[in-house]
Amino acid sequence: MSTMDPTEVFRQEASELFEVLEGALLDLGQRPDDRELVDSAFRALHTIKGSGAMFGFDKVASFTHEFETAFDRVRKGEIKPTQELISVALAAKDYIRALIEDPQSTDDIIGEAILDDLRRFVSSDRPSAPVAEIAEAPPLAPNESRQAGWHLYLEFESHILRNGSNPLDLLEDLCKLGPCFVVPVTDGIPFLDEMDPEDCYLKWDVKLHAACDKDAIDDVFMFVQDEMKLTLSPLAQVEAPAPAPLFQLLDEEPAPPAETVAQVMESAAPVAAPPAARPERKAEVASEPKSDIKPETAPARREDAKQERGIATVRVQAERLDELMDRVGELVIAQARLTQLASAGSDLSIKMIAEEIERLASSLRDTTMGARMVPIGSLFGRFRRLVHDLSRDLSKPVEFVTSGEDTELDKTMIECLADPLVHLIRNAIDHGIEDSATRAANGKTEQGRIELAAVHSGAQVLVTVKDNGGGLNTARIRAKAEEQGLIAAGAVLSDHEIHQFLFHPGFSTAQTISALSGRGVGMDVVKRTIENMRGSIDLSTRPGQGTIVTLRLPLTLAIIEGLLIRVGEGRYIIPLSAVEECVELTAEDERSRGRNFLNVRGNLVPFLRLRELMAASGAPDRHQKTIIISTGETRVGLVADQIIGNHQTVIKSLSKLHSDVTIFSGATILGDGTAALILDVAQLVAMAQSKVEKQHISEAA
Amino acid sequence: MALNPTEPKWSLRLPADCSIAAIRNVYDLIREAFGRQERLEIDCSSVDKADVTSIQLLLSTAKTGEAQGRPVVLTSFSQSLRNTLRRAGFASEAMIDQHFPQKKDGT
Repeated sequence: MSTMDPTEVFRQEASELFEVLEGALLDLGQRPDDRELVDSAFRALHTIKGSGAMFGFDKVASFTHEFETAFDRVRKGEIKPTQELISVALAAKDYIRALIEDPQSTDDIIGEAILDDLRRFVSSDRPSAPVAEIAEAPPLAPNESRQAGWHLYLEFESHILRNGSNPLDLLEDLCKLGPCFVVPVTDGIPFLDEMDPEDCYLKWDVKLHAACDKDAIDDVFMFVQDEMKLTLSPLAQVEAPAPAPLFQLLDEEPAPPAETVAQVMESAAPVAAPPAARPERKAEVASEPKSDIKPETAPARREDAKQERGIATVRVQAERLDELMDRVGELVIAQARLTQLASAGSDLSIKMIAEEIERLASSLRDTTMGARMVPIGSLFGRFRRLVHDLSRDLSKPVEFVTSGEDTELDKTMIECLADPLVHLIRNAIDHGIEDSATRAANGKTEQGRIELAAVHSGAQVLVTVKDNGGGLNTARIRAKAEEQGLIAAGAVLSDHEIHQFLFHPGFSTAQTISALSGRGVGMDVVKRTIENMRGSIDLSTRPGQGTIVTLRLPLTLAIIEGLLIRVGEGRYIIPLSAVEECVELTAEDERSRGRNFLNVRGNLVPFLRLRELMAASGAPDRHQKTIIISTGETRVGLVADQIIGNHQTVIKSLSKLHSDVTIFSGATILGDGTAALILDVAQLVAMAQSKVEKQHISEAA
Repeated sequence: MALNPTEPKWSLRLPADCSIAAIRNVYDLIREAFGRQERLEIDCSSVDKADVTSIQLLLSTAKTGEAQGRPVVLTSFSQSLRNTLRRAGFASEAMIDQHFPQKKDGT
C-alpha cells in the first residue's frame, strides 16, 4: 500500500469542495433566495478553512476566514446575493484555489483587493441600527422571530464519539446562545453486556431560551449534522421570563401526553408556529419517561442525507485504474493466445477452460471499463463558470443549459474533451450569439442560449454544443477559402463542404475573427483532438437561427472491437464501429483498374487497394474482399485479401517515432503474439476522397 | 483501580483516565468486578478525565445492577466527574441521585 501525502489528500478534497462552492455560487446567481445553496456554499468554505488550517495552509485559512465573515451577512439573509457579489465571490474562490495549488503565483495584494471588494459589497447597504435589523431579518418566517426560544432534541449516531466529536462541547456552544436547559435522556443506555463503551447512547433534550435564528443553532451542529438527528421546534412561551430555573420550567409544562401537546401549545400561544402542522412524530421521543418533558418534534432535516450515506463509494487514484486497465489488456491478449492454442489442439478440457477464461476475461474487461466511466456532468459543471464570465465580459446575456449530465464516458475521454469544448463554447458566445441590439432587431429574445448536451447513441456518445445565434456566414467562408486558394473561384460546393474549411489549419486569421461571423479560432485543433480520440466533429447551421456542433465519441479509448483482416502477409485491424458491410470484389470491379469505384447497390463508392497501400508482396488472393467503412456520410471500400474475423483489440499507442505515420492509429498484439496495426479510418477516408478529387481534376484536364 | 479483598465488600477504584481513549479498559475492569461479587462499590475519587463515555458506562453499570438486583454503589465523585456530569445536563444532586440511585457521598 502506498501512503498518500496528506497535503495531496487535502488538495484533492479542496478541489472537490471548490466545485461545490462554484456550483452553489453560480446557482445562487439564478436563485438568490435558495437558502440551501447559501448553506452549501458556506459549508464548503468552512471545511476549506478548517482543513486548510489543519494542513498548514495558514494563508488559505485566514483568507477564507475573511471571506466567510464577509459572506456571513448573505447567509443571515441580511443582504441579497447580487450578480456583482457573486462575481467577487467567484474571484475570491479562484484566489483560494491559487493559494492552495500554486501559492507562489499569488500575491497578497490581490487577495486584499478581493476582500476589499467583498467587504464593500456586503457593507454597502448596512443600515445604521444593526440590532433593529436582526429583529426584522427573517421576514419569511414571522413566527420564528417572535418565539421565546427553541426546543431541541439531539440524537447522535453511535460512532460519533470515535470521530473525536464531543457532544458536551456542542451543548456548551448551545448554552452560549442563551439560557439553556439540558436534560440527558438515558433510556437508550444498554446493559453492560450489550454495551460498546465507545458508542454514544445518551441523547439530550434541550430548551434554549433565546430568540436566536435557526441558523445560529445549525451553526453549532454544522460539523456533525450528517451524523446526528436534530429535532428542532420553536418554544411557545411568548412572555416567558428568559432565564427560568429548571424546576420552574418543569412546572410550566406538566408532562402533557404527546398527543395533546399541540392543543396545549396552541391555546397557550396562538402566535407560535402551530406544531400540529408538523407531519411526523417520533414514537421513541414520546416515550421518554424520566425527564418529564414531552418534546414535540419536527421532522429531522438531515434524514435524507443519512439515507444517501448508504451508497458506498471508494476513492481510487486515477493511475491505479489505468494500471488495472493495462493489466486487463494484457490478460485479454494472453487469453487470445490461449484460445488460439486450444483451438489448434484436440484436448476438449483445455478448450473448455479456454472458453471459460474467455468469458471471464470479457466480463472483467467490461467491469473495468465500467469502473473508469465518469458522468460527463463533472465536465459540464466547469463550463458554467466559463459562460458566466464570457457573458459578463462580452455583455451578452447568455443562458446556459445542459442535459445528459449522467451520460458516462471513459475518464481519459473526459479529460481530453475539456479543451475542445472550451473552444466550442467560447466560439459560440463570442461569434455565434449576436449582441443584444442585433438580437432585438431580428426579433429574438435578448438573452442568448447555449445548450450543451450529451447522449448515448449505440457505441458512441454524441456531445452537442448548440447556440441560437446568427449561424455561419457561408458566403464569407467561401470568399475566405477562395482568397486563400483552397478552392477555385466558382467551384461548385455544397454549404456543408464549405463549412468544412473552418477546420482547415490557419483558416481563420486575426482580422477575420470579428468580421467573420463563422468559427475558425482553433477549430483545426479541436478537430484534431477529437479525431485523436477516434471521434468525429460535425457542423450544421441555419442562418439566423444558430449553429450546432456535434462531436461523436467512442465510449472508451482502451479496448475496441475490431475486424481482423489480412493483406499479403500482414494483418490489420479495422475498428468494427466504422465497418458498414463486407462485399466481395467482383471480377467486373477488378477489371475497372483505372476507375477505382465500386458499385454498391447503385451507389458509387471509391475504394482503396490495401495491397498497393501496404506494398504487400506475393500474389494476391483470387477472391479479393472489400470492407466498406464509413465516417458519417462518406463511404470508402478497402480491398483486402482475407477477412479473418472479429477481434477484441487492446489498443497500444504507437511510439513517438511513428508520429508521422498517418494511416495507422495504433497497434495491438494478436493471439499468436504477433503485432497488428490498427487502421485509421478517418485518414483512409480522407485519402480516398483526395484520390477521387485528383482523378476528377486529371479527367477534367 | 486495585481490588481490595480485605474489605468486606469489593471496592473498585476507577483509574484517572476514564475518557474514550481508555474507556474500553475501564469497561473490562467493571465487567470483571461485576462477575466476582454480589455487591460492588465503585470509587470515583481519582477520575481525572471523564467524558460522555464515562457517564454512559456508569449509567449502564447502575442500570445493570438494578436489573440484576445486585447493589452497585458509587462513591466519592471527583470534581472532574462532577463537572462532566454537569455539562451533560445532570445539573443537580437530585438528578444525579435519580440516575445513579445508589450513589453514596464518600466525602
